[in-house]
Amino acid sequence: MKRTILRSLAVLALTTGVFCNKSADGEGDGNDKGFDKTGMLTNYADQLIIPAYALLQEKVNNFQALANTFLETRNTANQQGLLEGYKQLHLQYTRVEAYNLGPAVVAGLEVYLNYNGGIDYNFATNGELVGFSIDSTTIENNISSGNYDLTQYVRNSFYAQGFAAINYLFFGPNAIQKFNSNTVSRVKYAKDVVNRIKTLVDKINIDWTAYRTEFVSNTKTNVGSPIGNMINGMAYDLDVLKGPRIGWPFGKQSNGIAFPAKVEAFFAGNAAALAQESMRNLKKIFTANGSGKGFADYLKSLNREDLANQLTAQFDLVITKLEALPDPLSTTITAQPAKVEEAYKEIQKLLTLIKTDLASATGVQITFMDNDGD
Amino acid sequence: MMAINRQAWEKPVSIAPLITFRIAFGLLMFVSTLRFWWRGWVDTVYVSPTFHFTYWGFEWVQPLGKPGMYLLFSIIALTALMIAAGFLYRVASVLFFICFTYVELIDVTTYLNHYYFISLVAFIMIWLPANRLYSLDVLIKPGRRRSLVPAWTIGLIRFQLGVVYFFAGLAKLNPDWLIDAQPMKTWLPAKSHLPIVGAFMYNEWVAYLFSWFGALYDLLIVFFLLNKRTRWWGYGFVLIFHLATSIFFPGIGLFPYVMIVSSLVFFSGSFHQRLLFFLTGKKVEAELSTPYAFTYKKALYAIMGGYVILQCFIPCRFLLYPDRLFWNEEGYRFSWRVMLMEKAGAAYFKIKDRAGKQFYEVNNAEFLTPLQEKMMSTQPDLILRYAHFLASTYAKRGVTQPRVYGEIYVTLNGAGSRLFIDSSVNLAAEPFSWKHYHWILPYKAAN
Repeated sequence: MKRTILRSLAVLALTTGVFCNKSADGEGDGNDKGFDKTGMLTNYADQLIIPAYALLQEKVNNFQALANTFLETRNTANQQGLLEGYKQLHLQYTRVEAYNLGPAVVAGLEVYLNYNGGIDYNFATNGELVGFSIDSTTIENNISSGNYDLTQYVRNSFYAQGFAAINYLFFGPNAIQKFNSNTVSRVKYAKDVVNRIKTLVDKINIDWTAYRTEFVSNTKTNVGSPIGNMINGMAYDLDVLKGPRIGWPFGKQSNGIAFPAKVEAFFAGNAAALAQESMRNLKKIFTANGSGKGFADYLKSLNREDLANQLTAQFDLVITKLEALPDPLSTTITAQPAKVEEAYKEIQKLLTLIKTDLASATGVQITFMDNDGD
Repeated sequence: MMAINRQAWEKPVSIAPLITFRIAFGLLMFVSTLRFWWRGWVDTVYVSPTFHFTYWGFEWVQPLGKPGMYLLFSIIALTALMIAAGFLYRVASVLFFICFTYVELIDVTTYLNHYYFISLVAFIMIWLPANRLYSLDVLIKPGRRRSLVPAWTIGLIRFQLGVVYFFAGLAKLNPDWLIDAQPMKTWLPAKSHLPIVGAFMYNEWVAYLFSWFGALYDLLIVFFLLNKRTRWWGYGFVLIFHLATSIFFPGIGLFPYVMIVSSLVFFSGSFHQRLLFFLTGKKVEAELSTPYAFTYKKALYAIMGGYVILQCFIPCRFLLYPDRLFWNEEGYRFSWRVMLMEKAGAAYFKIKDRAGKQFYEVNNAEFLTPLQEKMMSTQPDLILRYAHFLASTYAKRGVTQPRVYGEIYVTLNGAGSRLFIDSSVNLAAEPFSWKHYHWILPYKAAN
């Protein structure tokens, strides 16, 4: 009896196998639905990432020249020119911030250039170094003591350099007058801060030349893989937007108490423009600028055109809602809370789509830990 | 049917399968512990997190701090080696079981079916005379040597493996798995980087092949292994299936190897005698003909009988809950549901005070690791546990009688993300229960 059952089951197993193979011969000329992931990554590297870093390098050089001019002749005209150069530079940074992988991680670009305080912080009291704070105390101490190391990997150091320091030193209250005392040290610190940015960006540009091969040839989706990093990077960008960029200063974590001084680029006053550009760029990454070789197209090849369209539409909606927020954002968050609330809602929807549907559909993992199901 | 009569299960059989199993299990556990340690997971999982998802009723199981956790893992590694060597076997197996299970009970989000399997096997091993040959214990006390044991000792391990496979197979008999080939259809295109087979990963028939072969394998493999004539074929399938699993889904960890090694227990006594002879050069002596006899037989039979009944009931308890198991996951754990669905969630919590005047949004990253957040976002009992934690945390921060509301979106097997729980329910006031949680929204097939 047992044997008969076993035999029939074995036959069933075999026929199932044959059946499956047959149907494959019938319909499958093989890879008609296949997707060229290396092609996608090559497109990202050559059309988006590497050109964006090259442009960032240009903006840094331009900014450095303007900074030197200002530091030599400190007047409002030069300050105004410098502010324009800075805005261009920071906007260009938002076009690379999602590539938080490989050379950028090695260099620590995000924390040294545009530290957001980490997204694991509680944003409930003022005065603390959280979000896009500026640590003027450490900056002033560094200037007066002359004793500082901008390569230190600690929060105080992050908050005393990069865009935070540039905002304070060049565009903060009485920025020009402050250079009149302790001039040599202050000018040196300002130059060191600018030079630090140049060093980081130069290094990333050089490193990408070597890293490119590794990037385009790794088509896995596990943690640390380029595809995994790109998708997780998109989710992270949305997390930053929902948290330190808009939600937290708006008072989401703090019972509605707003912290206007903690918006990004507070003294330059273009935080809304930065948030908008960041999302425009994220959409550009998702659609690969309409080249047919992006995540949106990968989704289509997986029969998930619905999701691709849903995501594109949500990106557009978020961008529209953000464009309704005028700069300076620090004023808007208290003057037009309803509009901020609207944008926030759509940001959360987009974040949800990326974290759940997109991550699921692309098989991207978020942790290294063993996993035997979901 | 297998005739279960007393004579058959007390029949003296060769101890050899038990010996091989003991040595292999001990060594594998040693390697597994080192791997966990070496990857830095002791720190990331049990030392750095500020909050842990304890099991209901086991809230007292807490991490022991950095030195404590490393001590615990040292004990696990050491006792695993002692089990392999058969040195102070009873003490070692009890200690191993307690320490390993303690670690697993610290945080639900680290639950893996194979950790549960290890805990169960470690529990069984405590009662079995697996140290009566090829061990340091009998080298020290040669009088304790036995070459025969009651058949049920080996049968129990085979039963445990059978439970794992058979229920894993039953779990795959659902429309998502068989008719839609989900989640394979979602997972396989992410494996296109594999050499040779990678090119086929976009073809749907491959997903169907994997799904159907997997289901048939899990359902039938035990019968192939039990039957002498099909055993070698069966073991061939064991190798193919588990090696394929570890190549396609490396994230599954050591589970395939645990099963490959454990399945050897289905081979006959004489096979294992030859294997042990081949490995050690020492023969099982025939003159040791007095079979091992248990002292408290009746009590032991009662324990083991209860154990067997529980093992058959636990994977079926999901039948007592309404709605879709994959959605509400009530009765999902401890049921050998391995790699069965693709589920992801995003959870946003809001805190209000009693008057509804104060209003805070929770930043999950402040309290949870990425792994914890991922696991919590899709599992109702973890959501409840976290909500209670949030209530007490925000109470300490000065919110009077905090109310906790969750806006949670979940996607299951490629269906668009949708609301998972009732966002208007104050989770802080909802109790833990064996009953169905009414605040889980019913799964709707259409988007």
